[in-house]
Amino acid sequence: MDQATSASPAMTFSVLASSAPVLAPRVGRLAIPGRKTLATPHHVPLTSRGTVPHVAHDVMRDHTEISSLYAGLEDFIANKDAPVYKTPAADHESPLKKFICVAEDMPLILGPRRFPPIPCPPANTSTSIALLTSVGFTQLSAHEYVTAVQKLRPDIAVGMVDLANKQPGSKRRGRMVDRTHAWTRDALEQLYGKSVAEKDKSKSAYFAPVLPLDNAQQSLYLDDLESEFRWDISGLALYQSASLGFVPESLADLPRLLFSEPETPHTILREVSLGADLLTTPLLGASSDSGIAMEFVFPAPAALQEDKSEPRPLGIDLWTEDHTTDVSPLREGCECYTCKNYHRAYVHHLLLAKEMTAWALLQVHNLHVMDNFFAGVRESIQRGSFDEDVQTFARVYASSMPDSSGAGPRLRGYQLPANGPNQPRRFPKVYGQLEDAIQKFTESQSEVATPDTDASGLEEHGFAEKL
Amino acid sequence: MLCHRLLARRPARTLYSALSIPIATMSTTTAPVRKSMPSALTFDRHAKCSTTKARASTLHLPHGSVPLPIFMPVATQASLKGLTYDQLRETGCMLCLNNTYHLGLKPGQAVLDAVGGAHKLQSWDRNLLTDSGGFQMVSLLQLATVTEEGVRFLSPHDGSPMLLTPEHSISLQNSIGSDIIMQLDDVIATTSPDHARIKEAMDRSVRWLDRCIEEHKYPERQNLFCIIQGGLDLELRKQCCEEMVARDTPGIAIGGLSGGEAKEEFCKVVDTCTDMLPEHKPRYVMGVGYPEDIVVAVALGADMFDCVWPTRTARFGDAIVSSGTLKLSHKSFANDFGPVEEGCTCTCCRPTDQGGLGLTRAYMHHITAKETVGAHLLTIHNVHYMLTMMGKIRQAIIDDQYPAFLRKFFSDIYGGDKSKFPKWAVGALQGVGVDLLADS
Repeated sequence: MDQATSASPAMTFSVLASSAPVLAPRVGRLAIPGRKTLATPHHVPLTSRGTVPHVAHDVMRDHTEISSLYAGLEDFIANKDAPVYKTPAADHESPLKKFICVAEDMPLILGPRRFPPIPCPPANTSTSIALLTSVGFTQLSAHEYVTAVQKLRPDIAVGMVDLANKQPGSKRRGRMVDRTHAWTRDALEQLYGKSVAEKDKSKSAYFAPVLPLDNAQQSLYLDDLESEFRWDISGLALYQSASLGFVPESLADLPRLLFSEPETPHTILREVSLGADLLTTPLLGASSDSGIAMEFVFPAPAALQEDKSEPRPLGIDLWTEDHTTDVSPLREGCECYTCKNYHRAYVHHLLLAKEMTAWALLQVHNLHVMDNFFAGVRESIQRGSFDEDVQTFARVYASSMPDSSGAGPRLRGYQLPANGPNQPRRFPKVYGQLEDAIQKFTESQSEVATPDTDASGLEEHGFAEKL
Repeated sequence: MLCHRLLARRPARTLYSALSIPIATMSTTTAPVRKSMPSALTFDRHAKCSTTKARASTLHLPHGSVPLPIFMPVATQASLKGLTYDQLRETGCMLCLNNTYHLGLKPGQAVLDAVGGAHKLQSWDRNLLTDSGGFQMVSLLQLATVTEEGVRFLSPHDGSPMLLTPEHSISLQNSIGSDIIMQLDDVIATTSPDHARIKEAMDRSVRWLDRCIEEHKYPERQNLFCIIQGGLDLELRKQCCEEMVARDTPGIAIGGLSGGEAKEEFCKVVDTCTDMLPEHKPRYVMGVGYPEDIVVAVALGADMFDCVWPTRTARFGDAIVSSGTLKLSHKSFANDFGPVEEGCTCTCCRPTDQGGLGLTRAYMHHITAKETVGAHLLTIHNVHYMLTMMGKIRQAIIDDQYPAFLRKFFSDIYGGDKSKFPKWAVGALQGVGVDLLADS
C-alpha cells in the first residue's frame, strides 16, 4: 500500500496500514527531506510565540521527543515591520525556524492563527481574516499570508480559511465557502502557479482547508480540490472531526491535519478511527497548566484490564493534599525525565508555591504520555486490533479528565478572550490578609510565600509557636 | 512528638525573657564552657592576592566542592525560577540557596521530615545553603517585633500572635538538611538611626548564636554560620566579630548589609570585618549580588555572595553582560539577531554547532515577559554569567592578576571612561592598594 502521493516535490506521505481509504484508522509516514520523519497518527505540539509553553529549548531538545511543531503567524506579526521577516537565513533554511531558534530538521507547520485561536470580534472580510496579535486585533489579508509563507518557508503551510465565531447562518456559510475557495485558488497560483518561475516556486507543502460545513454546502470547492487544485495540494486541514466523513475518496491519500480540541483521549481515539493523521491536542497543555499529570496508556495495560472495580483516572490532580509526602513518580513506571528525576511531592510543592518549574516538569511528563499514547495507537492499528483496544480503553479508563483544584499560570493578553459583558474577573481579588501586610504581599506576589494556613497550621509546620 | 517539643520549650522561653540581661553580660564578659563545634567542611586556601585581600580557595562541603569566591543563586522555594536542576547543574552551580522562611511555610517541617530533607524534595545532589528566616520575617511582615525570645509576629492568615525563636529556625534547618545553615539573627535596617537598637541587635545576635549552637542537632553534617551584625558602626562590628569568632563556627557571614546603605559604608564594614576574621574560614557577605559590589567585596577579602537580583532581573527581560545589563524588552533588540552576549558559553548563547541553543536577542525580545520560557532562558544566561564571572575572578587571583582584572572589569562596564567609575569603588579599592584610575 506504500504509495507516494504528495503534490509537493519535497513532501511524501505514505499510508502503511489502513482498512479503507476514508473513515478508517490508518498508519502513515510523512517524510520531508532533511527533516525528522513523522509517523502518523500523531499529535502536533502547539507553540505560543514559537515555544511549546513552559518547555525551554534545551529541555525540548534533551528531554522530549517532539517531532513536529505548529505555529500561528499571528504570534509574530504584532507590527507592520515584523522582525521575523528580517531573520537572516540561507536559501535552504526557514527564517521562521531560525527566528524561533529550533533546529532545521524539526518539521514546522504554519497557519495564520495560533491554536486554539481566541475568537476575534472584528469580522473577516472577503480578502482578509481578523486575528489577535500581542498588541490587539488586526486583519491579515490572504495575499499577505501567502507572502509570509513564501518568506518564512515553513515545511507545511495551512491554507487560510474563513471560519465563523458562532454557528453561521446560510448566507454566512455561502460566504465562508466562496472566500475559502478563492483564497485557496489564489494561494496555489501565487505559490506554485504557471506564472511563477521554477526557482521561485514555493518548497512549502500546502494543506488546503476543508470547512466545518456539510458536504453539500461546499461541494463546488471540494470538486475543485479533487480536480483543478489536486496536484498543488499536499494535504487537508480539517476543523471538525465530522469533516473526516466528507473527504472524497480521490483525496484519500492526502494526509489529514485535524484542528480540534478533544477533551479526552477517548475523543482522540474516535478522531483517529475516523481517519485523522495529525491531531492537535490542546488538552495536553491545559492539563499541565492546571496541575494534572496524565496517566493513561494505550492499549490499556493488561493488569488494569483485569481490575474490574472502577474506572482508572485519566490523570491525577497534583494539587490535592494526598501528594504532600508522596515521593513516587507521577506515573508508576513512566520513563520520562520528570518521573525519573522528580516525584509527586515536589511537583505538588511547586504548584502550591506557584513556581514555574511545576509547569515545565508537567509538560515534559504529559508530552511523554501523549507520545506513548500515539505510539500505542499506531502499533494497535498495524496489529489490526485497534477497534478492540479502543473498546477496552473506554472500559478501563474514566470518561473525563479529572477536575483541577488549583489555578494555572497567569494568562497574558494574547491568551485571553477579548473583554465583553459578563466576563469573569481576570485575576480574582485576594482576601484574607491583614490590611497592614497586604501591600507588601501584593507588591511582591511572586517572591513571597503566603501561608495558606492559620496559626495552628503554622505551629504544626514547626514554623513558629502560638503565644 | 511535635507538641511535646513545643511544650518542653515553653518554660525556657520565659526564662530567656526574665534573664536576658544576665545572659547578655555573660556572653560579653566571661568565657563560658561552650558546646564544641564540629565542622562539616574543609576550607583549602590556594592563593591570596599580593596586593588586595582577595583569596582563592576551595570549600569542600558534604555535597561536593565549591570553588571560592562564589556567587550562589537563590532558589527561594526549592526551585530556581522555572529551571530543572539539570539546567542549573549545566550553569556550573555547585551551591544554591533555599529560604527557611518559605520552606517553613510550604511545604513545612513535617513534610520535609517525611520526604527526607530539601535535597530529596527538589532532587538536587549538590550543596544547599539556607538562611535563617529572620530577614524575611522582618522585611515581609510589618507586624513583626523582635524580643529576646525571638521574633513575634501575627499570623498573616488569622492574625493570632506567634513566636519564631532561634530554636525553631535551627530545628527547621535541621529538617531541611542544608549543607550550610545560618543562625537566626536580629536583623534591622542598616540605615537605622537608633544606635542603642543597633547595639541591642548586635548583642542579641550573639546570644541567639549561642542558642542556635545549643539547638543544632547535626553539626557533623550541617555547617552553622554565625552572622556578624552591628549596623554601620565599625566598633560594634569589631566587638561582634570578636564575640562570634570565639564561638568557632565553621564559617562566618557578614549580615545586615545591602539594605540601602551608602556603598562607601558597605565597603568599610566588609573591610573592617575581614580584618578581624580568621584566614582559614569562608566569609559570606549576605544579600550582595551586583557584579560591581562583588568584585570590590572580593578585593576586601570576602568569599561568598548571594542575591536574587540576577534571577529576578532575568524575569523582567534583563540580561547581564560584561558591559552591564541589556534590557531585552526594549525595541532596539527586536531586529538584533546576535546572541545575548557574543562569546558567552552559556547554553542559550553558545551556537548550535557547539551544542548550544544559538538563541538570538531578537527572539528573547519576542518572548520576554510574555512566555515563561523567556524567563527560564534568561535565568540560565544570568546565572551562568555570574558563575563565569566568579570563575574569572578566581583565576585572576590564582594568577595574582586581580588588580588588572579589576581595572579591566570597570573599564568594560563604563566603556573605558574613568570619570564614570563609581567613587565608592575607586575609594574602597584604593584602600586595598588598587588604583583604578591609574594607567594600566
